Amino acid sequence: MVVSFVVVGLAGTRMKRLEWGGWVAVAFSAAALLVGLLIGVGEMLSPGSYTDRQYTWLHLPPAPGAFPHGVSLVVGTLVDPISALMLIVVTVVGFLVMLYSIEYMHRDQGLPRYYSELSLFLAAMSGLVISDNLLEFFIFWELVGLCSYFLIGFYYERPAVASAAKEAFLVTRVGDVMFLLGVFVYFYYYATSGPAGGWAANGFVFTRGTAPFLAGSMGGSSPLLTVAGIMILGGAAGKSAQFPLHVWLPDAMVGPTTVSALIHAATMVAAGVYLLAVTSLFLGFTAVDQLAIVAVGGFTAFFAATMAVVHPDIKRVIAYSTISQLGYMVMAVGAGFAMVGLFHLFTHAFFKALLFLAAGSVIHALGTQDLFKMGGLRKPMRLTAACFAIGGLALAGIPPFAGFWSKDDVLSSVYSQLGAHPAYWPFFLLAFATVFLTGYYIFRAWFLAFSGETVRDPTLPHPHEPPWVMTVPMVVLSALAVASGLLIFVPSFQSLLLVGAGATGIPPTFSTTDLLLSSASVALAAAGILVAWSLWGNGRVVPTEIGFAESVRRLLLNRYYFKAGYDWIGAKGVYTVARAADFFDQFVIDGTIHGFERIFGSLSDRLRRIQSGFVSDYAAYIVAGLITVFVLLLLVAPYVVSRIGGG
Amino acid sequence: MTDLSVVGFLGLSSALLAVGIFGVLTRRNFILLLISIEIAMNAAILNFVYFAGFLGGTSGLTGQAIAVVLIGFAATEVAVGLGIVLALNRAKGTINVAQATELRL
Amino acid sequence: MILEELAFVFLAGIAVVTAVLSLLVRELVHTILWIAIFFVDLSAIYFLLEAPFLGVLQLGVYAGAVTVLLLFGIMVTRKRIFSREAATGIGAVPVGLALVTFIFLIAAVGEFSSAPGTIHSYNPSDLSQNLFNVNGPWLLLLGLIMLGAVGGAIYLVREGRE
Repeated sequence: MVVSFVVVGLAGTRMKRLEWGGWVAVAFSAAALLVGLLIGVGEMLSPGSYTDRQYTWLHLPPAPGAFPHGVSLVVGTLVDPISALMLIVVTVVGFLVMLYSIEYMHRDQGLPRYYSELSLFLAAMSGLVISDNLLEFFIFWELVGLCSYFLIGFYYERPAVASAAKEAFLVTRVGDVMFLLGVFVYFYYYATSGPAGGWAANGFVFTRGTAPFLAGSMGGSSPLLTVAGIMILGGAAGKSAQFPLHVWLPDAMVGPTTVSALIHAATMVAAGVYLLAVTSLFLGFTAVDQLAIVAVGGFTAFFAATMAVVHPDIKRVIAYSTISQLGYMVMAVGAGFAMVGLFHLFTHAFFKALLFLAAGSVIHALGTQDLFKMGGLRKPMRLTAACFAIGGLALAGIPPFAGFWSKDDVLSSVYSQLGAHPAYWPFFLLAFATVFLTGYYIFRAWFLAFSGETVRDPTLPHPHEPPWVMTVPMVVLSALAVASGLLIFVPSFQSLLLVGAGATGIPPTFSTTDLLLSSASVALAAAGILVAWSLWGNGRVVPTEIGFAESVRRLLLNRYYFKAGYDWIGAKGVYTVARAADFFDQFVIDGTIHGFERIFGSLSDRLRRIQSGFVSDYAAYIVAGLITVFVLLLLVAPYVVSRIGGG
Repeated sequence: MTDLSVVGFLGLSSALLAVGIFGVLTRRNFILLLISIEIAMNAAILNFVYFAGFLGGTSGLTGQAIAVVLIGFAATEVAVGLGIVLALNRAKGTINVAQATELRL
Repeated sequence: MILEELAFVFLAGIAVVTAVLSLLVRELVHTILWIAIFFVDLSAIYFLLEAPFLGVLQLGVYAGAVTVLLLFGIMVTRKRIFSREAATGIGAVPVGLALVTFIFLIAAVGEFSSAPGTIHSYNPSDLSQNLFNVNGPWLLLLGLIMLGAVGGAIYLVREGRE
């Protein structure tokens, strides 16, 4: 069943040459959706109802000295509640985005490429969520990274796009290398000295345990594990665009909006969070790691939100909000509530995809991404405006929209750990402040785009509602953005949220402190929305050139000069190293190679004479070789064996 | 029940293989080359058949099954070989392999 | 038992003689004649080895199909069916190589016991069971290779490929 699901996804890549490739891709993703939902819901309702398959492709028996526990590598599938959750996200959003693409992309060139890459992405992503060990996880991880690179660079004719794709690839590569190093360290640790001996011999699988799954069972406290955890964090930071590897995600917005919605909002960037959650649940992090994760998450949440405040590009505003929300998830995982982080991932996937699709609808209608050129879209595009508003409310965390429930859980889960780890305080406060910023920036975007009387830039085409293939996904996602948060009222899901939290955790919902916390965060978000309304409501545009504010604005627009800094390092540091390497390459390596070249050249000149091109001669060589083998076997081998005394 | 010595068969297939090799090395006509290869191949199939007979049981059945598959392979090979014969004839006007020396540097 | 020994020696002699003759005669069509006899003779050996299914297969595939194919090949590549092959010398090196191979093989045969062994017979239905269950992958592989060979042969003889 699970296998067939992957096959269905992969088969989607086969329809490259078809005229109606788009619809074929939609059909395949619909099939994937069906299977994914069946598996996902089935697993959520009764854990362990699916047979997990596994195949060992390399087994090294325990060897005293090097690997006392032995090592084996396996491929297999594991469907547990967390992967079921992810599976639902991937297939639902994937299907809706495919459907949306039919209309959104129909004027573009290279559609077969687009659909096959998107299908490959879906297949890789579902493979990632159901893979049952770290190494397989990494393989699919690289596959989704590759698809992301392809799809960001979809409009590869434009230089900015090509460089953004390259940037995304290279920056995530830093994370990938760290991830791989982390995997190596884990392998080394568990294959040699780990407390849970035999884990390495079992193929490093995420084993299903007594509770829905094992929580932190492989954990231990060794400096080595801390290093491994930091490495995994680095990998997750690369994929999920966390500080300081966040620079690629805003630039990735040059890809098609559908791609941004699917890959850079709902699924792939969430893979980093998923990695952290899985690691936290099955392996466990050390305390130092947890602090590092909370720090990265909390800081990123605030940091990215500040950049979203001023940006004029509708897609980049949403991209920054994605980074910020990912920061929340990372923070929750770091605080020990991996499932809470995943719950926020789950709801976020729906409302963020919704925001992107609504933004895509605007871009489709107007052909621009500049917020200051839009305006007054509420009247011609009523449905889109409503969808964007729902997405915005969910993002800001206003009840009863989905974002409220999950974000509230994130905050209260971090809050519950403050007593145990005082170092979490500043990051908790940053995250709390982010709630205000979130409410402000997303409604700034809404007011700029939708309120007012008319479109500000008169040269733009007259806006209109998109056809049904675009609106249906938006409506479905709106419904999900409202409803997915209500999952928290399902008792079995509540208990699932606490898996892995340990004894120190308090239930993240329904307590007095939680009520206070929720009211405070809702108030903050509402305040943010009000400020946005007072500044930008009714189509007002605030003049931006005001002294102090202007310099801050410039700092934020330039993303704290992070990219410039990276470029400088790249230009100076890497170039110097490259010069040295070039020198070494030209004189030492090439010199050696040229020497060999001359020797072999003269040798081969002689050797080529036996290449007569005459078939019978070649046959004679073969027979001569056969006879040589005979001689070796019958005459030489017995002699040698008798001399060494083996046999 | 038939009783026979394995040595005779081994000698027969050795001789056939030698004849095949001799043909491959000396003949210049492509069809004769094919025939030589067939003779050598038959020597190999004969091996499978008599060892299947001597072993008996499941392994014997496997040997016979492999012999069946090998006969199929040999027929396939003749078909492709004749394709080469026709192509060679069209390209060179002859099927003498001594004329086809494009592999030479 | 003596009868079977005699039958084997007789058939083996015919096999070697026809194989050598098919390569030595100057007339290509005579080659086909000798190789056909060779194939039929091998089929008789299979019957002697209690492998009737393989014997029939040998008759059908080799003595029938392959022989006709070879004949066909000769017919389409020559203007007249009966025409002599240019004489080719029997070089010392090829003969030497073949002989050395033969000697080594015979030397290896010496490792086996020369005592007569019982030859088991098989029910063809068992063979087909085996062929489609245990050795199914081989049969599948054969089918795939045949498919590829058909494609390749068609490509080779296609008109206007040059």
